[in-house]
This record gives sequence, C-alpha cells and structure tokens, in this order.
Amino acid sequence: MRDVITVIAAPPFATIQDLGRIGFRDSGVPVSGLMDRESGLLLNATLGNDPSAAMIEWAVGGGALRFDCATEIAVGGAEAILRINGVKADPWLPIVVASGDELRIDRIVRGRFVLIAVRGGIDVPVVLGSRSTLLSAGIGGLDGRRLRNGDQLPIGDHAGTPYDNIEFEKRAARTNSGGPVTVMRGPQASLFDDAAWATFLNTEYLVSLASDRSGYRLDGNAISHSGSAALPSEPACVGAIQIPDGGTPIVIMNDGPTVGGYPKIAVIRDSCLSRFAQMAPGYPVRFAVGSSNFDIA
Amino acid sequence: MDEFPIIQQLGDDALLVTFAHTISWAVGVRVRSAARRIRDTHLSSVTDVVPAYTTLAVYFDSRAVSFATVSSEVATLIGDANAAGDDRSTLIEIPVRYDGPDLAEVAERKGLTQDEVIEKHCSRTYRAYMTGFAPGFTYLGDLDEALVLPRRTSPRVRVPAGSVAIAGAQTAVYPLVTPGGWHLIGTTSMAMFDPARDPPALVRAGDSVRFVRVDG
Repeated sequence: MRDVITVIAAPPFATIQDLGRIGFRDSGVPVSGLMDRESGLLLNATLGNDPSAAMIEWAVGGGALRFDCATEIAVGGAEAILRINGVKADPWLPIVVASGDELRIDRIVRGRFVLIAVRGGIDVPVVLGSRSTLLSAGIGGLDGRRLRNGDQLPIGDHAGTPYDNIEFEKRAARTNSGGPVTVMRGPQASLFDDAAWATFLNTEYLVSLASDRSGYRLDGNAISHSGSAALPSEPACVGAIQIPDGGTPIVIMNDGPTVGGYPKIAVIRDSCLSRFAQMAPGYPVRFAVGSSNFDIA
Repeated sequence: MDEFPIIQQLGDDALLVTFAHTISWAVGVRVRSAARRIRDTHLSSVTDVVPAYTTLAVYFDSRAVSFATVSSEVATLIGDANAAGDDRSTLIEIPVRYDGPDLAEVAERKGLTQDEVIEKHCSRTYRAYMTGFAPGFTYLGDLDEALVLPRRTSPRVRVPAGSVAIAGAQTAVYPLVTPGGWHLIGTTSMAMFDPARDPPALVRAGDSVRFVRVDG
C-alpha cells in the first residue's frame, strides 16, 4: 500500500502542479505549472524536496485533506486559516503529521492559490516531462482533471535536506510585498503612443472575475494603439500583457495559448509574476517599467 | 523601413525574432529554417524554439544565461546566409468523414453543392503555417478561394475534438474540445494531439497535409 493523501473535501478548484512542462510549446502545449512558482520553490526547499516536486495548488475555497501516513508538509502561497485536527497551524513552516491527521483550510483570506507541499512530492505520472495538470488537454496531475472528494494522491519517496528557516522567511516576505508590478516593454510597445502608455501606467486596474490559470483580464481604463489590430499571431509568453480591440488588458498566464495576435504592450518581469498570479478577482494592480521589483521605491 | 530580421526581448526568459510583418509561405520557410538551425545547435540553456507565421521565439533559462548572450548567438545563426534551407516536410494524410454541422451552410453561402465543398477541400495539399491556439492545433493553408468565409459571428463554446474546420483562407482540425469560431465541415478519428508521442502534435509548422474523404 502506497503512502497517500486522501481528499476529504475538495475546494472548487485544486490541481497538481510542478514547475511546468518545458519543451513542447512548438506543439502548442503551454508550460502550465505553479502559478506562484516562487512560493512553490520555497515550500519544496523547506521540506528538502527537489525543486520540481509536485504539490497541490488549491484555489477558490475551503476543504480538507487526510494524510494516510506519517509525513511532513508545508503550506504557503495565499494566506489561509489552516487547522490540523482542529488546531491552528502555521504556514511556511514544516508541519509533522501523523497517519490519520486532517488538514482543513477554512477559507482563503488573502491571495489566490494556497500551495500544499508534502515531503517527497505528489507522485502522479509524468506526462511530457511534467506532473502539472493541464485541464484543457486533460493531461498531467490526477487524470488531467481537478481534484475531487475521495481522490487518493500518491506521495513520492525522494527527499533531501531541508533548507534553513531564515532564508525562506525572507523570501515569503518578498512574495507578499506590495507596490507596482514591474514590466518590461513588450514587442509591440511602440504601437502605443505616449497617451496610451500614460493610461497604462497611471491606471489602477482590477483583476477581473474573468481570470483563470489561462489568463487574467483586467478591468479599468481602455488603452488604444495606432497599429492594425490584425498582427500575424506570434509566440507569446507567461506574463505578456495583450491589448485586444476592446482596449482592456489580458495577461497571458501559465495555461494560456502559446501564440497570440493581440499587440503586447508590456511583459511582467519574472520577479513579479508570482505576486501577480496571487491577485484574486477584485485586487488592484498598477504597473511600472523597471528592471526588477526591487527597483521601485 | 525596418531591417529584418529584428531581435527583441519577449520577456525575462524569451526573445522574439521577426522576419517580416506580412504572412507569406516564403517567410514561413525562412522562419522554420532559422528555428531548425537554432534547435540543432543546442544552445546551452535554451528550452524551446517556436516558429510562427513571420516570427520565432527562443525561450531560455534566464538564471543560467542572459538575454544578451542568447541574442548574439541567435543573431549569428540566423545571419548565416548560406543556411537558407528547405522545409523538411512530412506529408500527413488525414481521413475525414464530411459530416460537420456547418457543411450545408457553407455550401449554401458559397453557392456550391455539399459534394463540391468536399471535393474542393480534399483536392489540395495544404501546408502547415503554425501550431498554437491549443495543443496540437495547426493552421493549414491555403484554402480554395471558393471556400473562403469569415469566422462564425457567434463562436461555439464547445467544439468536439476531431472537428475539421475552415475559416478565412485556412483549415484545421480541432485536436481537443475547445471553444471555436470556425465552420465545422467534418470529423476525423485521427489523434491530432497525443501526449504519449514526441512531439505530441501530429502536424507541426512546415508539414504538408491532405484530407482524404472516408464514408460512414
């Protein structure tokens, strides 16, 4: 009998993710993977896991898991109320659990994705080099779908030496820091005149309800551009901020298309992607051009 | 005037090379030949090389290598005029049952019989311009002018996997259940996307495709 985690009460949207599926974009396969990669790396390091160990990416609501073996877990990413057998537990720190222990997440307080990592990682089959779930293609994770009640998630046996705690506390603070999201100019930046750039940089956009692992729509002032809207489709990347005909931005996220034809005004810097990914619908966001998120005073 | 090819940074982990602003088959051949050369060189820390209509992207691990380094390596590779090269084309035959829900409407709007629509769709060898939109979705052209129609005004929320479709001057097979605005004229049982295969897409940019009519 393998060591497993049993899903007692699945939230509306939970999947298995790792660092993503690299090398198949020319077959149209998006990278997928953890939306808040930075927190995922931190949690794996905390447990001494390989950086690419898969974990549960938990969103939208509360629920519960049961550990059917003695192991160690770490929970981070979005801020949530965590209880082990009814007793409040701390995020980010390793938690020792016994067989039969239950982790309950009452609700997500701030942010969007709670990450639940286990020592050894979630050991679902590797598909095209990754354990990440891609719902649109029905691949990866557990049968290519969301987690549901009764699912049993196998735990892997590889584990190394955990990192020391001070380092990850610093990094957690960085992930949660505020300030503008830093971008670089996109390939079609010059199609947007000074007025359009001023609108883009001076508007406080709100993450729209119409946002998911494929892309985040933003509500706010529309941006116009001088070029033809009909660009030949070209390769895109995670964090690319596209301006479609309606003028309100759409940011391509991990499960989004590998190509697109809308002009890209800007691209979110790697250093800000995890923080941006954690913005739930209704969260305000401003953009600033810069080389990294530490350049902004 | 722009001086092609143009190399731009696409993000922290990617660069974009633009060979032209207008789609043509000749540009596509150049794009794919350059993509192949970059891929075959196995540049260190390059993770993906993706050709599109007039552009290609090179994705890399920015923790291991800088944009400046990849950019200069790519510039050298694509600047090599001797390496123009042909497409390494694979011909793929796709069996189609012409039973799509839009076949009758396409015929009516184009003033053709359904058999004429089918005959025109089957009679060409198409070329694969670009893969994207969804895993395994490859844009094929050029469609017979007699079949050219704009996309449906209201896209379907759910197009069945294996649907053979047309829109504008292009045709394609929907590999997976996705939303879609193209006209569905047939169905194939051939797997356009198979995660057990490497590469997982049956048809990729540069390949040739023929549709073969089957009954029943």
